[in-house]
Amino acid sequence: MVDRRLAWLAGIGFIWIAAILCGLIRLQVVRHAELARMAQARQETAREIAAPRGAIFDRTGQPLALSVPGKSVYINPLKVDIDAASDLLSRVFHLDRAELRARMSQARERHRGDLPVKRRITDEEQQLAARQPVGYIDVREEKQRHYPNGTLAAHLLGSVDFAENGNAGIEKALDRELRGAPGKSMVLQDVQGRPIDSRLAAEAKPGEPLTLTIDERLQYVAEREIAAAVEAHGAASGSVVAMDPNTGEVLAMASYPTYDPNLPPGPDDNPAARMDHAASVPFEPGSVFKVITLSAALETTNLQPESSIDCHGGVLRLPGRVIHDSHLGNGRLQMQEVLWKSSNVGAIEIGLRVGQENMYEYVRRFGFGQRTGIPLPAESPGRFRRLERWGKTSLASVSFGQEISVTTLQLAQAASAVANGGLLVRPRLILKKGSQAAPAGKPARILKPETAITMRRMMEGVVTNGTGSKARLAGYSVGGKTGSAQIYDYAARCYTHTYNGSFMGFAPSMNPAVVVVVTLNGTHGEAGFGGQAAAPVFKAVVSEALRILDVPKDLPEEPAKVFLAKAAVTDAPPVDSGYRQANILDDRDDDDAPGAAQPATPGPKAPNFRGMTQRAVLSEAFSKGLVVLTEGSGLASAQDPPPGAPLREGERISVVFTR
Amino acid sequence: MATLPTFFRKTDGGPGGPQVSAAPKPEVVRAKQDPFQLRPLPLEDVFFQSKAIDNTRLVRESDPRAGGRCWSAIGAACLALALCAAGLAPRMANRIEGYKLEGIKNEERRLVDQRRALQLQEAELLGPRQLEQIAKDRNLAPPSPGQVVNLEPRSEGAMAMAKQ
Repeated sequence: MVDRRLAWLAGIGFIWIAAILCGLIRLQVVRHAELARMAQARQETAREIAAPRGAIFDRTGQPLALSVPGKSVYINPLKVDIDAASDLLSRVFHLDRAELRARMSQARERHRGDLPVKRRITDEEQQLAARQPVGYIDVREEKQRHYPNGTLAAHLLGSVDFAENGNAGIEKALDRELRGAPGKSMVLQDVQGRPIDSRLAAEAKPGEPLTLTIDERLQYVAEREIAAAVEAHGAASGSVVAMDPNTGEVLAMASYPTYDPNLPPGPDDNPAARMDHAASVPFEPGSVFKVITLSAALETTNLQPESSIDCHGGVLRLPGRVIHDSHLGNGRLQMQEVLWKSSNVGAIEIGLRVGQENMYEYVRRFGFGQRTGIPLPAESPGRFRRLERWGKTSLASVSFGQEISVTTLQLAQAASAVANGGLLVRPRLILKKGSQAAPAGKPARILKPETAITMRRMMEGVVTNGTGSKARLAGYSVGGKTGSAQIYDYAARCYTHTYNGSFMGFAPSMNPAVVVVVTLNGTHGEAGFGGQAAAPVFKAVVSEALRILDVPKDLPEEPAKVFLAKAAVTDAPPVDSGYRQANILDDRDDDDAPGAAQPATPGPKAPNFRGMTQRAVLSEAFSKGLVVLTEGSGLASAQDPPPGAPLREGERISVVFTR
Repeated sequence: MATLPTFFRKTDGGPGGPQVSAAPKPEVVRAKQDPFQLRPLPLEDVFFQSKAIDNTRLVRESDPRAGGRCWSAIGAACLALALCAAGLAPRMANRIEGYKLEGIKNEERRLVDQRRALQLQEAELLGPRQLEQIAKDRNLAPPSPGQVVNLEPRSEGAMAMAKQ
């Protein structure tokens, strides 16, 4: 009896143990892989490895755009009491209560359950939010794009949306390169969620940093000057492009009005502020285009700078229109004088000699009517009619810059071709992608070198003898061309007396290091002509560019008194022809006159530098705000003006050092 | 040692010693008519007697090999423990180092983010607008071309200013 029971017990025990063993084998052997995976999935969590968007730098390495992790505050408007929440949040995050309340109400009406209250909150705000006894304040960590200089180069850089996708400028054009691909790592955690180990599941690919060709300092000066000029002349907008004519590197590209890319667009924002007037908004260039006409003439006709051009007394009748110069009485002018005085009739005469085909060919060669290829998403090709669509007076119009629209950038490209000896160099904006230098395009020859040199000489005459006197720089030769194109009123079907005032030039004119084109759109009156409004901006920007690029002077230092005396001699008051008709093309650029002599104002007296070292002289001069030109080395032995002599404003003191 | 009687607490004597009960067995009073009464358990009416055993007179026979066996057992246990520890130690060390490594990785990420934030701050402070404002406050003006004389090699990107 007992044995039988024991046998049963043993049997049951055996079956039990066998069942356990079977279960163990099933778990440990048969389903091992599957269960191991399940266990791993429970213990491991995926963690994103951040791949920040590529930074953007200027040519000197100063950051222009950076992605930095930051914190943002979100709420769900569908689950909060709007009045109480707007009260609290406006107090904690220093927001306008009414505006926040309106946003929350709007979001609720649209059944939007995720509303960003404020981005880029400070640490103090975050701590304050954490102390609030409410559960609806959701603080999230996000990568945020910052533009440390605010509006600087805003049109070039563009901006990004909330998900860091580029929506304008370089940010959009090179979004693929700038955007990184986040990686993934699997983190093994203990029961308390502490990471024990991690393995890389997908490698992060940070966005490629870009180095632009622009110089932050020059860009700032360009923006400052164009903003001041637009405000001073009551213009609607303005733009500046500074470019290295030999490499095509764009050193500065400014547009005004501007905007701050750090801020999202608001409903009350001026749409014009987000338009890149330098590359996206074409305009009729007016007289600056005569450079193209004369270049074509030098290449395709037997005209020379001294060739005589009949200007018909300043009036030319064409089928259906009358063209006249404001300087009536221009009988015969040399070709170079046509450029200096900006004679429309003279330019037309030259254009007629060039002929339609050649003119069309050269305009296209200079890159007009086509995009420059700069990596900006909204670049305009401008407007230039195909030859078969030209009218009877199209050749005449194109000869002095009408019936064509161009961008400031295209003008800079064309001016560069003249400046660098006849090669069309495409503007470049990207210097480096990552650590790799961006390849430069191959330049194309569009002018003979001798033609370019002749044009440079003639353009220098515009500054020294003609309409561009306000672009003159001490110590540097400058070549340029003014333009004052009347703006066409499509409603009234006539040209108005608002202008696109422009200046296109380079310095030093014999070996140009920089090309600068300035355009002011919608200036009024004579003060809004290119020579009056744009040339001073050109001067300021070129002056800064030459200093930054450390370009040696190519002219002897001209004492201020000599310069002023010369300016006074060449001064001529503007001439008003008094001849106005709605459909008459009028370029009163000719009236641009060199700056009037300023009366010398008594200033401080020259200190005595004799016997001092160069360092001590410079230190004392800087401390007194004086400009010193040094020569030689050793101790100061002579100076001009002598010690105690009164100094005029801007006057420099020459100090000779000897050992 | 607990015995079944003590376990079931069905002794007829206290735990202090043998108490043979002379009292008559209590009668089991049941309400036979109670339909909800549980039926009696098997052997419910069987009671055990607990008996204290005095084994103080027993003397353990000396076993000279017992000590050796004992030490062998202790040695074996220690060896097993050592083997076990040797097997587990790398895993433990791995885990501790894993905590440290992950902590360092987190610190690295934090420092990288902090560096970017500082870069941004530096860029804001070195922005040309900011510098111009500082220069204006200190009565400085940008130099004209040729005004700057570099007596020493200049640093790249530095903005030269001259006193007004």
